[in-house]
Amino acid sequence: MADNLTTTFAALADPTRRAILARLATGEATVMDLAAPFAMSQPAVSRHLKVLENAGLISRGRDAQWRPARLEGSALKDAADYLDKYRTFWERSFDKLDSYLDTIQAKEQKNARRKK
Amino acid sequence: MPVERNEHELVLTRTFNAPRELVYAAWTEPQHLDKWQGAPEGFTVTVEVSDIRTGGRFRIGMRSPQGQDHWLEGTYREVSPPEKLVFTHAWVDENGKSSPETLVTISFEARGEKTALTLHQTGFTSDGARDGHVEGWTSQLDRFTQYVDSL
Repeated sequence: MADNLTTTFAALADPTRRAILARLATGEATVMDLAAPFAMSQPAVSRHLKVLENAGLISRGRDAQWRPARLEGSALKDAADYLDKYRTFWERSFDKLDSYLDTIQAKEQKNARRKK
Repeated sequence: MPVERNEHELVLTRTFNAPRELVYAAWTEPQHLDKWQGAPEGFTVTVEVSDIRTGGRFRIGMRSPQGQDHWLEGTYREVSPPEKLVFTHAWVDENGKSSPETLVTISFEARGEKTALTLHQTGFTSDGARDGHVEGWTSQLDRFTQYVDSL
């Protein structure tokens, strides 16, 4: 159950699970609370909650009967940070490509003028 | 903490002042790649494998100023000049630990003499999880950060 970006992304890859997380962002909820708005059976909700719990994205209360699910922010933050770094990585790569394209085209134009 | 809709994927666009064929070539031809992907300040970059075709692999070695080795690795899923490039992308450290493998799709759209490039990146598990190498990636974020900040 260690922090694991891969399991985080796997958990986030499912739109129903993302919707469950969005719901939990407004407050904790039980399996019963979640089943109705998602028009899902409770076992189906439980399965999704297990995936989210395994990814460290939620925690479950101890009350044996209700076990409310609660959002845990840090795994989500790790995933967001990672994507954020990638965004910077690509933007900087694009900046370099931009300069490079200007340089080679300027060279080509210069060579074309020389040939005339 | 609010959950943002795109927490699991990235979409970036950029317009380049160059024809599509040239932009595509810059992304795929070694003589171009060497010149613009370049090495961040203090890093030594070695292109170990570069096989640009469907199913082909790439592996780029990166040694930090502190002497730490990392590799950028992936497989080309689709190579369709001059419109599209699809590849997997992961960071691997000296112990073979891999970051989540992401899928990157780059589309090149001609806009007269310019090119609109769209990059779409999503994270998924498959290979990394299968190999059982993925563990405690959080600390690796620091090294990736160091690399990115040096660009």
